Amino acid sequence: MHEHQLNLTINGCENKVSGDVTQPLADVIREKLGLTGTKIGCRTGECGACTVLIDGKPVVSCLVPAASAEGHDVVTIEELSQKDDFQRLVQSMLETGGVQCGFCTPGIMVTLWAWLQDRSLFGGDISSALKNNLCRCTGYQSIIAAVEQVIAEEGGTRI
Amino acid sequence: MIQTQKKSKNDLAAKVTGNTRYLHDMNLPGQLVGGTFRSPYPHARITRLDVSKARAVKGVAAVLTAEDVPHLEFGPTKYKDWNILAKDKVLFIGDEIAVVAAETREAVDKALSLIEVEFEQLPAIFDPEDSLQEDAVEIHPGVERNRPMHVLVNRGDMDQAKQEAHIVRSGRYHSNRIYQGHMEPVGVLASWSDEEGLTLWAASHIPYRARETYAAGFGLPEDKVRIIVPPIGGSFGSKYVLKLHVTSAALSMKTGRPVKMILDRSEDMLTAHPRVPLTYDIEIGAAADGTFLYKELTVYGDAGARIYWSPNVLATACTRTDCIYNFGAIKAEGHLCYTNSSPTTCMRGFGNAETLFAVESVIDELALGLGMDPADLRMKNIVKQGETTVHGYKLDTCNLDLCIDKAKEISGWERRNELPANRGLGMALANHVSGFRAIDPRFDGSTAIMRINLDGELEIETGEIELGQGMSVTYARIAAQILGIPEGGIIVKSGDTGRYPFGIGTLASRSTVMGGNAVMKASQEMQRQIQALATQVHGEGAEFRDGQVHSDGKAFTLKDISAWYRARHAGEEFKVKETYVPDTEMPDATYFGNPSPNYPFAAHVAEVEVDPDTGRTRMIGYWAVHDSGTIIHETMAKGQVIGAVAQGIGWVLMEDFQVEEGVVRNPSMMDYRMPGAHDIPHVDIAFIQEPDPNGPMGAKSLGEVALDPVPGAIANAIAHATGKRGTRLPLSAERVWNMLQS
Repeated sequence: MHEHQLNLTINGCENKVSGDVTQPLADVIREKLGLTGTKIGCRTGECGACTVLIDGKPVVSCLVPAASAEGHDVVTIEELSQKDDFQRLVQSMLETGGVQCGFCTPGIMVTLWAWLQDRSLFGGDISSALKNNLCRCTGYQSIIAAVEQVIAEEGGTRI
Repeated sequence: MIQTQKKSKNDLAAKVTGNTRYLHDMNLPGQLVGGTFRSPYPHARITRLDVSKARAVKGVAAVLTAEDVPHLEFGPTKYKDWNILAKDKVLFIGDEIAVVAAETREAVDKALSLIEVEFEQLPAIFDPEDSLQEDAVEIHPGVERNRPMHVLVNRGDMDQAKQEAHIVRSGRYHSNRIYQGHMEPVGVLASWSDEEGLTLWAASHIPYRARETYAAGFGLPEDKVRIIVPPIGGSFGSKYVLKLHVTSAALSMKTGRPVKMILDRSEDMLTAHPRVPLTYDIEIGAAADGTFLYKELTVYGDAGARIYWSPNVLATACTRTDCIYNFGAIKAEGHLCYTNSSPTTCMRGFGNAETLFAVESVIDELALGLGMDPADLRMKNIVKQGETTVHGYKLDTCNLDLCIDKAKEISGWERRNELPANRGLGMALANHVSGFRAIDPRFDGSTAIMRINLDGELEIETGEIELGQGMSVTYARIAAQILGIPEGGIIVKSGDTGRYPFGIGTLASRSTVMGGNAVMKASQEMQRQIQALATQVHGEGAEFRDGQVHSDGKAFTLKDISAWYRARHAGEEFKVKETYVPDTEMPDATYFGNPSPNYPFAAHVAEVEVDPDTGRTRMIGYWAVHDSGTIIHETMAKGQVIGAVAQGIGWVLMEDFQVEEGVVRNPSMMDYRMPGAHDIPHVDIAFIQEPDPNGPMGAKSLGEVALDPVPGAIANAIAHATGKRGTRLPLSAERVWNMLQS
């Protein structure tokens, strides 16, 4: 155990947390900060349920040692869901049926949001953007439809 | 189609914004962490077990072995072969020997590492047909030939049918183990107190059966066990009833403190209870004009070492598909076999989808032999509206013929003979039930309580369970339609055996039809009572319509109505309680009877391209046409279809939960690959919407019938593309490549 004090910027707040420097960022977010919107489905970076933004890029937080997030800007679903322009994506997901059991959904929302901000991510297409997020319920079609709906509402332009 | 109204207050918005609290997100004061010590051997006698060092670890509150728990007969079906912890023998790798509760995960792990155990290994069986042999080792004492269940079904004159047959096609088909792939790993939070008894926060979607099962395990009255169901992060059959719930309960009873156990993905997969693997010997005979004359089926089901839900799977496998086609004479024999593998259980479409893989494959082989279009051969032999099937299913509505026509139309079926090389189009049909009378022999049905809150909101309580399938928004829509109020003012509550009415639960595609009928009855009764109350308060001219009472040019809301009621009933809340009891029949010993209020049907078409160099199949297109009666919530209904098709594509092309000599070979999501966004083609959906007289608003079920035809449709498309018939799922690239070389 390498007990250290870490300074983490999460959702714009400076947080001092202590613990093992190698503990997964996902555990710090969920257990130390109580931000349970970030889900843990596998702990091995395969399912994407724990996706957060680090400096605007979607990252699986179960594979990020907490110490390596120091000095970076970490954003979780809790912060995104406060944003006004995030609500369009929320509404589209509800209208297209992009959510069923919901366990993968926060991670998927984070990925979708990041891609809508920068569509050069993941080679430019939404199916590729979802390659790190597993969903067992929806078959993805309605999730992709939700993103297409957001883009269509924006007249096909960048939001 | 019932039109969407305002957005609902139910579960979905919270899920999208990360506000939903799943079991993993919950904690109780004083909570301990639990862990399990499991058998490393598939079949062994425990000759020494010493947990004294484990008990001495700092922070350990309890270590339990078989000596510390009751040994009563219990189990979730009539086959009571469960235990809480293994007493003298372990039956599979992963079988629970001891459990630990401690202050920290680290203390749990240390204690588990200090448990000392010695075994005498016993011969183990992994193949169901081996387990039936006379000289096979006995897995459960007294169970003859390791066969807890033997199904025999005979209808019609088989000998005569065989003599008359012009063409016969047969084969041996295998459906494999599938990991349900719930994104939320299995877990539980257990809390015991002398006053309250046992409370389990557990994601069971049959919580009343779970309660009955667990109470029996401890010799407790059922009322002393309460199961609270948090939002369920995916199940598909994996979270019905689980030993983990029982062992955590034992730890909480021992320590007097709450105990939480969440499996990590690796332990979840290593100890998983996958879809029951089934082996089929099947033969179908037909006349020269394509009329089916008989179907003969022998099924071997691998139950694993204990009975979870496999008997129901086997019974379904032996009978259900006979209610899609008129096969003529029927013979089915089913063997449910104990083996030394982890117990197997249900997954969406159980028994039916697997048998359809075999049946639909053989039907395409018959079509080939007869020189008939496979769609025409199907059309010639399907069951029809108004018929009673060979097993007694009464088909008040059946639009399978329209499903076939529509599937041909939207898929461009006429292209079938002109496809480019390596492309194939395949069709398969399916049926299902909307609830099944034999789940609980005592009764079937569902109860809904409806109340108007002080602030005018309408609350619905049900004993059925939301799985993400859209139950809550469906119930809200039914009530909204009848009462003329916005869906946004309706809250659906479920998932607590201590608070909400009894329910059989979400299985057998029950929730829309069973729970929905109860909600419809409660809504109608509420409407009647509001009208009566309005008349009482405002006289004969008062009228309840569009969610308000209108009288003398004034309109009164549900809030006003609630206040009127409370003023006249000593402050009591305004509520109604209605029970729907379906007019169904308990199937008899020969599996004859009308077990469901109605029956949904489907016709699916798959288009594939098979790479001849690699054997890899790429999905080109998929078309799904469903007769599920009235579609109440189109968005969620389509979600059920697309999601089921995606699971089916994974099953047929990618997924294989590999268990060799009891060892799971691919216990991670990397090694057990499920479909990603790139693996699923666009799924075109059409609904044939004739209202069914026994469905709420005319609805029939949808969630499972959407998966049932997928393996058959894709298998037929691959056979069409390659000219070779795959008989063993999955039809992976390797397997198809080998088939192409043969």
